[in-house]
Amino acid sequence: MGRRTVEAMSARSASASVWSALRREAAFLARDRSAWAWWLVVLFLSVLAVSAGLNEVHRQKATIAHLVEADRAERMAVLKTRKEWSAVYHSFHLTYDPPSEFAFAALGRRDDAAWKHRVRMLALEGQIHERDAGHPVLALVGRFDFAFFAAFVLPLVLIVLLHGLRAGERVAGRHDLLVATAAGDSGRLWRLRAGLRATVVFSAAVLPLVVAAGLSGTAAPTLLAACALLFAYVLFWTLVCAVLAAWQQTAEVILAALVALWILLGVVVPAAGRIAIDRTVPMPSGADIVMTQREAVNAGWDLPKANTMAAFVERHPQWAAYTAVERPFEWKWYFAFQQVGDQKAQALSEAYTDGRMERDRLAGWLALIAPPVLLERALQVLARTDVRASLAYEARVRDFHASLREFYYPKLFRDDRLEPAALEGLPEFSPRAAGR
Amino acid sequence: MNPSVTSLAHMPKLQAEQLRVLRSGKEVLSGVSFNVAGGEVYGLLGGNGAGKSTTLAAFLGFVPAASGRVVVDGLDVGSDLAAARRAMAYLPEAASLYEHLDARENLDYFLQLADMRCSADEIDLALDRVSLGAEARGLKLRSYSKGMRQKVAIALAILRDTGILLLDEPTSGLDPTAIDEFHGLVRGLADAGKAILMVTHDVYGACQVADRIGLLRGGQLVAQFEAPPGGRIDTETVHRAFSPRAAA
Repeated sequence: MGRRTVEAMSARSASASVWSALRREAAFLARDRSAWAWWLVVLFLSVLAVSAGLNEVHRQKATIAHLVEADRAERMAVLKTRKEWSAVYHSFHLTYDPPSEFAFAALGRRDDAAWKHRVRMLALEGQIHERDAGHPVLALVGRFDFAFFAAFVLPLVLIVLLHGLRAGERVAGRHDLLVATAAGDSGRLWRLRAGLRATVVFSAAVLPLVVAAGLSGTAAPTLLAACALLFAYVLFWTLVCAVLAAWQQTAEVILAALVALWILLGVVVPAAGRIAIDRTVPMPSGADIVMTQREAVNAGWDLPKANTMAAFVERHPQWAAYTAVERPFEWKWYFAFQQVGDQKAQALSEAYTDGRMERDRLAGWLALIAPPVLLERALQVLARTDVRASLAYEARVRDFHASLREFYYPKLFRDDRLEPAALEGLPEFSPRAAGR
Repeated sequence: MNPSVTSLAHMPKLQAEQLRVLRSGKEVLSGVSFNVAGGEVYGLLGGNGAGKSTTLAAFLGFVPAASGRVVVDGLDVGSDLAAARRAMAYLPEAASLYEHLDARENLDYFLQLADMRCSADEIDLALDRVSLGAEARGLKLRSYSKGMRQKVAIALAILRDTGILLLDEPTSGLDPTAIDEFHGLVRGLADAGKAILMVTHDVYGACQVADRIGLLRGGQLVAQFEAPPGGRIDTETVHRAFSPRAAA
C-alpha cells in the first residue's frame, strides 16, 4: 500500500472519528436540560432585543410618514393664511434620516442624536443643535437592541455555560474518568463540548436576527456580514472561556476571572477610554452653539443694519448692490442677520463636528482592545446608525437649508412679489433612499 | 490465582520502575517499583498522603514522572499516553456518572467516548454481572444510591474489556453486602486474566481480594505481601505493618 493511500485512509478515519465524537456530544448536549434552558434564554433575549429594535424603527418610520404628510399640509396652510415673507418666516421644512433596513439591529446614534428636524429659513445651527446637547457625553453602550445584547449580554451567557467545562466535572468527580476514558486526544472532548455549547448560543442569538432581517428587507451582504461578525465574536469569547476553563482552579475562581475580564473589556476599558478621549479631544457642546447663534441673532436687532449687511455680504457678495435697508424693518435685513447668526456660530459648529469625528476615530482605535465595543460599532456601521451616519444627515440638513436660501435670496433681494407661482420649484428635502 | 491464567502471571501489565513524582516541588513518590501481572489483583495500601492516588495518577498520565517510569501493557505512559489509556479501564473513587442520564445512557455515552460500541444486550449483560436490578436501569442516576452508581461504573469497566483495571478506593462508602459482591466481581475479573491495581486504605478488604499487597508510606514502598498458594494474605500481618502503633 502506498504512503499516500495510507495517509488518505488515516485522514478518512480521523474525519469519521471526529463526526462520531460530534454526534456523541450533540446527543449528550440534547439530553442536557440546562443547555436547552440557556438556549431558550438566549432565544428569548434575542427576540426581545430584535423586537425592541423593530418596534423602534417602526415608530420612527411611522413618525416620519406622519410628519411628511403633516409638513406639506401645514406649509400649504401657512402659505394660504400668511402673506409673502411672513409665510416664509412661518414655514417649516421637514428634514429626516430614514432608518436603514438593518437599523433595527443596532439603533446606535439614532438613540441619542436627532434624526428629524423641522427647519425654518432662520439661522440654522441653533435649529440643528437645540435637541442634541447630550450626544457627545452619552455612554458608549446603548439601549437594549440586538447590538447591545450581542456585545454585552451574550458573553455572559457563554461565561455561564463554559466556565465550569472542566471544573464542574472535577467537582462532580467525573473529570479523571472522562479523560482516562476518552480515546485519543482527550482535549478534543473539551473542544467539542465548548464548540457545541457556543454553537447553541450562536444559533439562538442569530435566528431572530435572520427572521427580523428577512421581515425588514435587509440586504443579504449586510446580514451575512452581521452573522460573520457575531460568529467571530462568539468564537472569541468561546476561546477565552475555554482557555480559562482549562485552568486548574475551582469553578468559582474561573467564573470570577471571566466575569472580571468581561467587566474589564466591556465596561472599564470603554469607560476609561471615553474619559481619556474626552480629555484628549475637547469640544464645545451643542448648547454652546445654540447660545452663540441665538445671542448673535438677538444682537442683530440692536446692531446698525449696515454692520449686519456688511457681514452678510462677505459670504454673499453677489447681493452687495442690494443691501440698502431704508425702512425700520425689512425681511432681507431680518434673514440676513439670521444668516450672520449662523456665521458667528460656524467656528463652534465646525469644532463640534470635527471633535465628534475625532472622538469617533479614537473610539475606533479603542474598540480594538475592547471587543464588545468593536462588535457594537461594527453593527452600527452596517446599520448606518454610527456617528458618521449621524454627521452625514446633519450635512444633508445644512445642504437643504442652503438650497432654501439659494431659492429665496434672489426673490428677497430683488424684492420680488411672492406669488404662489413664485414658489414653484421650492426645494424639498430628499433623504437618502432607505437601505442605501 | 486461577491456574488457567498462571502462564500470564509473569507477564507484567503494569510496571512502576523507580518512580519518583514531585508535586509543587515536593517529592511525593520516591523510587517506587512494583508490577502487576495479568490475572493478578495488586492492592496498594497506605494511609492518607502515602502516595496511593499519586501512583494511580502516574499510571493514568495525570502526573508526570520526575524520574523512573510507568509502563502500561508495554507502553511507556510518558511517551505514548493515549495508547496506554486505551489499554486501561479506570474506576474512580465515588464514581459520579451523569445524573441526568440513566444507567444505559451513561454506559452508552462513556463507551462512545472510548470509541466503542456495545449492543443493548451487551450492556444489559454487564449490568446483570454487577447485579443492578432491571427496574433501576431506566431511572436517572440522580435517584441511585452510591452503591448502585458504583455498580454502573464497574459495568463500564467490564464493558471496556481492557486487560487492565485501575480501581481507586472502590469500596469506599459501600455497605458490607455491596463490598462482598464487589470483591467477588474483582476476583472474577482477575481470574479471567485481567491485571487489577486496587488502591485502598481498607486493610481487611485488600487482604480479602488481593494476590499481592504493596504498602506505601511517605511516598515509599515499604513492604510487599503475597498470598500463599490457594490462600489469602494474613490480615494481622498487614495490619501490623500498616499501623505498627495501633497493632502494638
